[in-house]
Amino acid sequence: MANSTSKTVYDIFQSMEYGAYSPSTAATARAWLERHSYSLGFFMDGKFVCPVDRQTHTVTDSTGGTVCSVICAKDEDISSCGSSASAGFKTWSELSGHRRAKVLLRLASTLQRYTQCVSELCDLCQSPCSLPALIRLTQYYAGWAQLQDTLMPEWIPRGVVAVVVSDDCSFHSIWLKVLPALAMGNAVIMVPGVKLAPPTLLLAQLFMETALPAGVLSVVTGDTSVGARVAKNNQISYLTYSGSQQDGEVLAKQTAGWGLTISLCLSVSAECPFIIFESADIDSAVDGVIEAAFKKKKDWQWVLCVQESVLDSVVSRLKLRITGLKCVPLGSESDRTLVDVAVQDALQQGATLIQSCSPPASGALYPPTVLCGLAPPSSAAVSPPPGPLLPLLSFRSAAEGVALGNRTPHGQAASIWTEDLNLALETAKSLCVGSVWVNSHSVMDPSLPQCGRRDSGNCTDGGKEGLYQFLRPSPSPALPRSTPTSLDYAAFGTTASGFMVPEGFDPSSVTCSCSQYVGGKLCKADSGCSRTVQAPGGAVLAHCPDGGRKDVRNAVEAALKVQPGWLRKSPAARALSLYSLSDHLEKRRREMAASIQAQTGLSMEEADKEVELSISRLSDWAARCDKQSGGMPPLPQTGSALSAPEALGVVGVVLPDAKPLLSLVSLLGAAVSMGNAVILVPSEKYPLPAIDFIQVLQASDIPAGVVSVITGRRNQLTQALANHSEIQAIWYWGSLEGCQFLQHTCSSPLKRLWLHCEEVEGNDGGKYWSHSSPSLQEEMWREAVVWKSVWIPTA
Amino acid sequence: MSARNPGMDLDLEWVSKVRVNTQAVLKRAQQVQGCKVAKKQWQAAWLLKAVTCIDLTTLSGDDTPSNVHRLCMKAVQPVRHDLLKSMDMHDKGITTAAVCVYPSRVADAVKSLKAANSSIPVASVATGFPAGQTPLKTRLEEVRMAVEDGAMEIDIVINRTLALTGQWAALYDEVRQFREACGHAHMKTILAVGELGTFTNVYKASLVSMMAGSDFIKTSTGKESVNATYPVAIVMVRAIRDYYLRTGQKVGFKPAGGIRTAQEAVVWLALMKEELGNEWLSPHLFRLGASSLLADIERQIYHYVTGRYAAYHELPMA
Repeated sequence: MANSTSKTVYDIFQSMEYGAYSPSTAATARAWLERHSYSLGFFMDGKFVCPVDRQTHTVTDSTGGTVCSVICAKDEDISSCGSSASAGFKTWSELSGHRRAKVLLRLASTLQRYTQCVSELCDLCQSPCSLPALIRLTQYYAGWAQLQDTLMPEWIPRGVVAVVVSDDCSFHSIWLKVLPALAMGNAVIMVPGVKLAPPTLLLAQLFMETALPAGVLSVVTGDTSVGARVAKNNQISYLTYSGSQQDGEVLAKQTAGWGLTISLCLSVSAECPFIIFESADIDSAVDGVIEAAFKKKKDWQWVLCVQESVLDSVVSRLKLRITGLKCVPLGSESDRTLVDVAVQDALQQGATLIQSCSPPASGALYPPTVLCGLAPPSSAAVSPPPGPLLPLLSFRSAAEGVALGNRTPHGQAASIWTEDLNLALETAKSLCVGSVWVNSHSVMDPSLPQCGRRDSGNCTDGGKEGLYQFLRPSPSPALPRSTPTSLDYAAFGTTASGFMVPEGFDPSSVTCSCSQYVGGKLCKADSGCSRTVQAPGGAVLAHCPDGGRKDVRNAVEAALKVQPGWLRKSPAARALSLYSLSDHLEKRRREMAASIQAQTGLSMEEADKEVELSISRLSDWAARCDKQSGGMPPLPQTGSALSAPEALGVVGVVLPDAKPLLSLVSLLGAAVSMGNAVILVPSEKYPLPAIDFIQVLQASDIPAGVVSVITGRRNQLTQALANHSEIQAIWYWGSLEGCQFLQHTCSSPLKRLWLHCEEVEGNDGGKYWSHSSPSLQEEMWREAVVWKSVWIPTA
Repeated sequence: MSARNPGMDLDLEWVSKVRVNTQAVLKRAQQVQGCKVAKKQWQAAWLLKAVTCIDLTTLSGDDTPSNVHRLCMKAVQPVRHDLLKSMDMHDKGITTAAVCVYPSRVADAVKSLKAANSSIPVASVATGFPAGQTPLKTRLEEVRMAVEDGAMEIDIVINRTLALTGQWAALYDEVRQFREACGHAHMKTILAVGELGTFTNVYKASLVSMMAGSDFIKTSTGKESVNATYPVAIVMVRAIRDYYLRTGQKVGFKPAGGIRTAQEAVVWLALMKEELGNEWLSPHLFRLGASSLLADIERQIYHYVTGRYAAYHELPMA
């Protein structure tokens, strides 16, 4: 510093440097910390709690100095936090939406008053946050709290929600989950990473000024194990996580079998394509990528994809613009090793570097670097290390650009640059990501849903869509809390078929042998085995195929071929196909009713009622095909935003025992009407109606392969569905063990799970299915889609 | 001034490929305005740099030899000597970059500067300034006469009719002829961006002017309703960068019109530094067309040196 203050006017006149801004003293933030003696406890039951002899963690600032310490929760802390939260939930959820909205609005004005202190503390803890954005987020969700009673009358809050956020996330991402959860009437336990803990605790305290009932908002801190330990507390009914992929996966595995619905948002390490087409404003695109890729704390890992015809012009501009950029601080010394290794690897594969200066010999610093001439197989392009590295790939045609952008396990966001409106919209549609920014990047607004695809997450945050993770339809039962059994995940569903040649042969009953339905064809199981279908009395009704892995594989292959075409069909055409399905069901209503009666032992009258309801349910979904749509959320900036529901792809459904036909058509309708292909696994106990429904499917004009029906043992088929990476979602009705297996197995690669435990739900006599509540259909519909937001800024 | 831009043949394919995204440019302009220069000596140094880039201008109907003379004297000694001395900058040749007047006042300015033993060049606007709506023949003649009177730099205005109707070849020919008429005098081409409609047109007009051999491109005459704005400047300096990447020739940039405060001058310098680099932070490649700006800069420097705010009467009038 002494060196820079001694610079004369003439020195600067010649060098024309900006000069270093003296860092802020963060006086108000430090004063707040001092009041807490630089050692922060938990926040629960409306006050700070600082139990003694807990392990401590130190929070450091950018120079490595100690800011304060936080403590690590023990199980007893978590359980007292859980009970105060559940008391808080009772008070809070009974308040009207209007009262809750008032509290959130008061928070917005409180934040305005304490802007300086909050932003200083965020900066001090190296998790910078834009306060105006936070205030807008608060006001936005205050609005939804106000409207909840009117617009979402049949939805109720989930209860106590745990929000677990790892250190590498932004401070904003905590509140993107906490505020909608509170707005909808949940109590929240926050588990922030160590760096995020001090500002989170400060905000929790500020919340008390808004007359939030005690216990509604709690903060427990500690190491990465705290998230899983909080999940085990049985007061919690939902857990949502934001952070890195590795930690998320570990958390999902640790919480499997606890009967807890969890969702993961793994945006931190997500690799996002930054696509520059030849029709782009190249200069603006280059400015954009430099701003996005070389930030100190970047939200995503960008990969630059440039059309070959403008590659030289992009590279020459990058070279000019990169000179003079300063070295970027890395997260840690170990990151530096990763960066060095990645750069060495890239160089060995013939990459060339564009660097602002040569890297310092050591230390957690690295200059902004573009790795040119990489190809997708090189590791730096597949999983770039954290730091200011930007891999650059080239492509020939626009279609190849989209393919390049889609060839990653992630699906968080993409930035595309072109002045051609058609190309922009077509590309936005074809990219398998949650957010698309046209001629811009990293635009976030509370009204734009953020919904990761593939390994980037299985939950939707932001917008109205982001509210539903914190709600459930009032008639729908919550997943019951349980304790995991010691399950051999590798052995689940792999036991050999128990088929035996029957001993006593009864010549009076000649049973038929049925087929399953794969890719539009009737076929036997690949294994050649079959099982008996028995009536409740024990009489053998039929023999059905005992399907397995190979059958699931064949069904997925068929589905993948036909699903894009099914999706491209106009919604009106999909509606007609579903109407035809409903018509053919009506034509065979007598046979279907007889099948239900034979299988379940219900009276003919009741069976007929189920068929009747099924016909009407299918027509419901047919009608919804061209009615369910997204919207154009209004943003404060000028431009056009779109938020649209899109099909998931291939959905695997393990059907319940209850209402075998009605549940089948309800779920089939939801998935297929939104453009998905579906693989149905009929109830192991009552498969006959589903088998007979195959004839209805064959007669209708639903394209072959969109719906497959595979019969067999539930665990075996569940295992097969879980281990096929092309299946994007599994809807499961079955045992606790099955739920546990799916939660464990489907954390990597990530799938969207919708789990139900029949052992508990089964005894309502299938009322869930015959219920006419619109919220139930809406829930199914929301499970059948993912959200994509597109932002097109204009001047 | 540095090496001159020889120009090149008109490349209409290049011109036709130009694409500018308006909102991205506006966003970039906001970003540039966020670049902060440290206080104290950094501010002072940047402001003095701005002074050396000023084309001190008077373009009024009531210009006479006496106010032109005062302007010239101010150009020679733009900041009070004692203020410069306290910063140890009194012997560093701090003058404005040029004096800019109407063609009829060129002779007066040349005379005043010569009397003061100054080598500050005299710049003259020409070619039917500000509208450019006079016959080509008289516009060419105006350039030649200004050069004859001793103008070292000529600020020409382009024919907006040609630019707005997309007659780029005709515009190229006109500017080429002006360039020939300028002879040894450097040519700054005023695009009058306020009247060009779109950023894309501004970019294209910039390219065509540079291809025709302009040494500088300049935003506006100061007489249109919209003058030098940061977004339009970003479009123009990007065209300069594009031209440099393609030909290796460095063309200068001159914003003019409406630049009045020291703060704005610093933003203009930051914009050049960010977009084109330090090389463009010198009077060879950057000029600020202004008349009242200098007074504000001098007041800021006074504040840096003395810690007090100056009364207007404490600083010499231009």
